Amino acid sequence: MDSEFLVELERIVGTAGVVHDETELITYESDGLVSHAQRPGVAVLPETVEQVQGVVRLCHESTVPFVARGQGTGLSAGALPHPDGVLIVMTRMNRIVDVDIPNQRIIVEPGVMNLDVTKRVASLGYYYAPDPSSQSICSIGGNLAENSGGAHCLKYGFTVHHVLGVEAVLPNGELIHLGGTAVDSPGLDLLGVVVGSEGTLLVVTKVILRLLRRPESVRTLLAAFDSTDAAGNAVSDVIAAGIIPAAIEMMDRTTIRAAEAAVQPGFPDAEAVLIVELDGPANEVSTLFEQIEAISAKNHGWGVQVARDDAQRARIWMGRKAAFAAMGRVAPSYYVQDGVIPRSTLPEVLRRIRELEQRSGLTIGNVFHAGDGNLHPLVCYDDAVKGQAELAEQVASEILSYCLDVGGSLTGEHGIGADKACHMPKMFSDDDLATMQLVRVAFDPRGLCNPDKVFPTPRLCGEVPGPYRAHPAELAGGAERL
Amino acid sequence: MSQVTVEISPDALVTELAVQAGAQVARAGTPEDAVDSVVPMAVVEPTTAEAVARVVGWASQAGRSLVVRGGGTKLSWGASPTSVDVLLRTTGLHAVEAHRHGDLTATVQAGATLAQTNAVLAAHHQWLPLDPPGGAEATIGGIVATNDSGPRRQHHGVPRDLIIGMTLARADGVISRSGGIVVKNVAGYDLARLLTGSFGCLGVILNATFKLAPLAEASRTVAVEFPASDRFSAFAAALVDRASTPSALELAFPPATMLVRFESVESVAVAQAEEAMSLARAHGGTPTVLIGHDESAVWQKHEARIFAEDGTVLRLSVLPSELTSTLAWLDETATAQQLDYVVAGRAGLTALSVRLNGEIASQVKLIRELRERFPSGRGSAVIRRAEPALTSHVDVWGPVGDALPMMQAVKQQFDPVGILNPGRGPGAL
Repeated sequence: MDSEFLVELERIVGTAGVVHDETELITYESDGLVSHAQRPGVAVLPETVEQVQGVVRLCHESTVPFVARGQGTGLSAGALPHPDGVLIVMTRMNRIVDVDIPNQRIIVEPGVMNLDVTKRVASLGYYYAPDPSSQSICSIGGNLAENSGGAHCLKYGFTVHHVLGVEAVLPNGELIHLGGTAVDSPGLDLLGVVVGSEGTLLVVTKVILRLLRRPESVRTLLAAFDSTDAAGNAVSDVIAAGIIPAAIEMMDRTTIRAAEAAVQPGFPDAEAVLIVELDGPANEVSTLFEQIEAISAKNHGWGVQVARDDAQRARIWMGRKAAFAAMGRVAPSYYVQDGVIPRSTLPEVLRRIRELEQRSGLTIGNVFHAGDGNLHPLVCYDDAVKGQAELAEQVASEILSYCLDVGGSLTGEHGIGADKACHMPKMFSDDDLATMQLVRVAFDPRGLCNPDKVFPTPRLCGEVPGPYRAHPAELAGGAERL
Repeated sequence: MSQVTVEISPDALVTELAVQAGAQVARAGTPEDAVDSVVPMAVVEPTTAEAVARVVGWASQAGRSLVVRGGGTKLSWGASPTSVDVLLRTTGLHAVEAHRHGDLTATVQAGATLAQTNAVLAAHHQWLPLDPPGGAEATIGGIVATNDSGPRRQHHGVPRDLIIGMTLARADGVISRSGGIVVKNVAGYDLARLLTGSFGCLGVILNATFKLAPLAEASRTVAVEFPASDRFSAFAAALVDRASTPSALELAFPPATMLVRFESVESVAVAQAEEAMSLARAHGGTPTVLIGHDESAVWQKHEARIFAEDGTVLRLSVLPSELTSTLAWLDETATAQQLDYVVAGRAGLTALSVRLNGEIASQVKLIRELRERFPSGRGSAVIRRAEPALTSHVDVWGPVGDALPMMQAVKQQFDPVGILNPGRGPGAL
């Protein structure tokens, strides 16, 4: 980076807040998706909103790209640095600013961990609903950028349903406030489009979150099935019965075995297990739970375990949440996608994935939020075997195309980032993407805020090959194509 | 922003619209088509999404202002237009395009009414859980464009919370789509949410896809009369504290009344209603439990409190902790200004509607003072319905805060000529 620029950065955030040593920068070259790595030009660690403004304003004036990063747990390379840009690391802005129980609100800085929000208010009987599997290590700023969900979003929704307002720095360095502490704010719902915009519109510096009262009662059931189809039918029957559980999760044999090897949750050795959780008033939960047990039995569920207390429930969830990490027990590496399908197409899509598994020779584990159709196929491969990593990526891409074939989405919670930007034209037309770009241009006319994410660009994806057209020079006889 | 300058005769305008959308669906405007007493020059009611897009694209090219109308139940919301060239009626697009009951989602065209939509969805014991005032005539497009909701907001939220995809006609006539048909989806910008509550100033909604809810098996409503409005807050807090899950939690004044609705399986609705009854008594209230016809009647009466009579209607959003003081201030100020008022709305979310009747000058004074009570982001008072005599003295939206320039920048990108509902969008966009 330009030395004058670095001096300016140090003036804004102090020497301790600037990292430009090549070795130290390795820390920041990837987020949770380590297959994408790029060292930033420089990293800064601001501690105040004024410092964030100063850095962004300097980037704006110097036409230098910038990328905001939280804890770096994202799985789509959404926080992949720009080689000639500034990485704004928000982890030092990690204060809980205000806890307001009478109004069921909490105001936090973006570097606060998701689980720390709940920990702060748990003793008061409240919690923060979105619970991504990484909740103990991911920050609220990243949750907001990705519109994170979690196992319980079937009933409680995503980050967008729980963020009431933000303070943020626009790409020109100006401060903006969207939403507020009251439930309604007049004006366009810019907050609604900012949440989930993957850090491409602004840099959030403060977030107003909605807190929920802990439900009176929670009950969790685990049941085994002889096929994923049978488990899928049980899920359909739950929905058809008019029950919206807090969570419905499904794991297949591969992921059950991996979880068992890693954390011994005591799951049955079956083709599939379902975890169904109900919460709410005690009488409602006990009434509906009987129906869930009956539906499980009707679909030949066996090995039923019912969590009677927090410890038993924690054990079941540990098995589910450890599934990703546990795949290390069955394969040296894996490639994960999070495509979404209409839930009713689950049997069809799973069958295609099984066929693909046989065809490709790669093991594919499946663990998914079955209630909302969010798949997490884990494509296992061995880096040591030449070409397997590339094959795994192709297999994962093919699974995404299955999702789109049935009207689904490229991603349910991981985001598009740099990883899937080139897939966007498979889901959206040029017109659709151009309409989204209208928002981008309004916020970030210079295109400096987390560039090369979400939208496909020739730099990322190569020029789209079109039909051959002769160059004018060829026609004039001045050149020929060899 | 508006570049609507060149004169055109109504006949010529109708002819142009007939070219874009077909001769059967274009006609001259009549007094029945008036938008806040402004009669549009021409009215068009296209029957295909493509025809809507052609009309809008043409209007951009020709610099003709365009107001979108669904059921017309909220047409007078927002500032009065100075002129309307084209009234685009969405009622020619009224299909429930898809009900994926196994997935709890549905895609509905903008001109379908909520009632018609829910009649279709009921075949599988599901519904789009919105109950805004005027739901029998209100269309999906209008409800989404205003982000309007009713008492069940307590449990189910607003259109913004339920919408998962949208197709829209851009001002330049291009049809574009965002989101999709799956409930969980973070691919691309969420334009459906941006368009929700945009009052027709960014594009014309062609269809929307929602997540649905199962219809509840049973319902009970506990109606509570309190000696004064200062009991509302403590009773609502007590329900939250018991982790009670009402589908609606409403207040109304005068007289001081609360309605708490429980919708679930029979035994649960009964048990929760009983608990609410005893809580209400503990807070000095006189509760009655209602079912069946009596229950429907009390909710109809509740909805009618605000909109069934003439008067200015405000949408008030305050912090729960400021409910009691705001109601006390409202009572004191309205009395001093010799204004009649009724307040009703979401007690659990403190999102209320207020109807004011009396001297316009006194209403203007009250609205200004009310807005001064709210620091930015901590409350708002938006005018929903009012006489032009009032809105010419006080802004419909009130302070929008430091986000206004960005809202204007977004509007500029989506509608560079400024034809869509000019001056009537949120923040007077």
